[in-house]
Amino acid sequence: MGSNADSKEIINAEVEAGDFSSGGEISSKLKDLLRKLGTSSKLIRKIAIITYELEMNIIIHSEGGSLAAEVNPGRIDIIARDEGPGIEDVDKAFKPGYSTASESVREMGFGAGMGLCNIKNYADNLEVESELGVGTTIRASIDLK
Amino acid sequence: MTDLHSVLLDEDKCEGCTNCVKNCPTDAIRVHQGQAIIKDEKCIDCGECVRSCQHHAKQISTDGLDKIGDYKHPIVLVAPSFYGQFTTDIDPVKIVIAFKQLGFEEVWDVALGAEALTRKTAQYLKDNEGPIISSSCPTVVRLIKLLYPELLDYLAPFKSPVQLVAQRAKERAIKEKGFAEEEVGVFFITPCPAKMTTVNNPLGLEKSYVDGAIAVDKIYRKLLKKVKNMDVSMDYEEYETPYLGISWGKRGGEADLLSSENTISVTGIHNVTSILDELDRGDLPSIKYFELVSCEPGCVGGVLNVKNPFVAQFNIENLVEDHGKFIEQSLDDYDFELDKEFTPNTVAPLDDDFASAMAKLTELEEEIDELPGLDCAACGAPDCRTLAEDIINGLANRTDCIFILRQQLAELTDEMSSLAHSLPPIIQDEGD
Repeated sequence: MGSNADSKEIINAEVEAGDFSSGGEISSKLKDLLRKLGTSSKLIRKIAIITYELEMNIIIHSEGGSLAAEVNPGRIDIIARDEGPGIEDVDKAFKPGYSTASESVREMGFGAGMGLCNIKNYADNLEVESELGVGTTIRASIDLK
Repeated sequence: MTDLHSVLLDEDKCEGCTNCVKNCPTDAIRVHQGQAIIKDEKCIDCGECVRSCQHHAKQISTDGLDKIGDYKHPIVLVAPSFYGQFTTDIDPVKIVIAFKQLGFEEVWDVALGAEALTRKTAQYLKDNEGPIISSSCPTVVRLIKLLYPELLDYLAPFKSPVQLVAQRAKERAIKEKGFAEEEVGVFFITPCPAKMTTVNNPLGLEKSYVDGAIAVDKIYRKLLKKVKNMDVSMDYEEYETPYLGISWGKRGGEADLLSSENTISVTGIHNVTSILDELDRGDLPSIKYFELVSCEPGCVGGVLNVKNPFVAQFNIENLVEDHGKFIEQSLDDYDFELDKEFTPNTVAPLDDDFASAMAKLTELEEEIDELPGLDCAACGAPDCRTLAEDIINGLANRTDCIFILRQQLAELTDEMSSLAHSLPPIIQDEGD
């Protein structure tokens, strides 16, 4: 998978590490755009939840990154890229309740370890590429039907 | 006014400012040629425009007391929040008697239906995982229909307390007192335009059980006079005031009575919008019941009330204090079921065809880049994004933006000036 001639990016925004006050803005904006495109409310909900989880992942765990949404024939991809620190064990990160979030983040009510599982539950396809010390790219695809 | 809404504009009073445009939570208002225009399909009757209009140009169409003369057997329904309009030294029973003196044959407390609905909802909460959103505030239901259709399934599938009591009172008058249906007129004393609108345009029902709505501020003076002059010793058929149900009139009343864990009470339309945003992105897994009310702090904040909302809240708190029991009544006296499901009422996409919608979305983004992004609202739309959308939909022009207009004028002036200087010398000589 990846960008091609038929693919169109409808959102691409920077996400700052630790910027909890902006959390959810990209998800809300994307929801508005999808509604303008006539996407069904069930799909919008799925996509909004995935986008929000990915957005919060960057805010909580990474050193900053970006979030993009691409419309491809038959599907929408949400792509989260960050600049580290990378996931040590990708399989482990998918286990419910597994979390590396710091105590202070947990006290804010985040980092319960449900993020990646949640994304997996809602996405039709999920690809995670991660390299320690370099960063993580997650591409979540949702079929448009 | 249309059947769809009850907020209307007094054109003589509208100055064409954009206070209402900027305060509308659904971007439903535009100013065109010095007059505000409310878009029917986006209005949710929250009354924020009424609140923000300093020229009092936004009015709410409600019925007058004279309309009760059309019915042989007029019945009045009193909202819980109405009791907040009086200090607690006034016995609620006096208010009931005063309504009778004004010409109503029967007086019913909506709070009675609120108590019944509380008990019904408590049962429903036991059998359902949730989340469940209260469907009692019509503005919240309309907001969800318009902007959060994916949350419609969470709405409690029950009639509102007003409709519950209206149906019970009406059917009783017909069955037990022998009136014909057209002889019974049920009137609600309304604190807000949203409940006024449900008279003609009910939610989840084929037909409203309420025949008319009278604004609190239209009846308050007449009623207060009666109450003040009332003989204290007067008795009224041992009328039992549903005190607990009256607490529904202020924030938290509804949720507290459920005696359930994990309930939240949110009031004020902008607060409601932000909590729905969070719920929508799956961020509130631990909250089971949402009491959401468009006005702050609860129905006491309705724009048709006369008292300061927080004073009214204080009055209700004082009134219901020391009362800990529901009125004894059977839930079988009410028909809680809706006639039909709540359905989405979303605004149409940019185009029905996906590819064309995508093309228009690109156009829209380009249009947004052209605009200055100051969100000054001088064009009559609430912000640059919305103006761009109106332009794409053929409802506005780019030169509605005064900054663009000024820029184009400057360019035109430069062009004219350079044209003037490029005239043949012979003409310039003639002018000298």
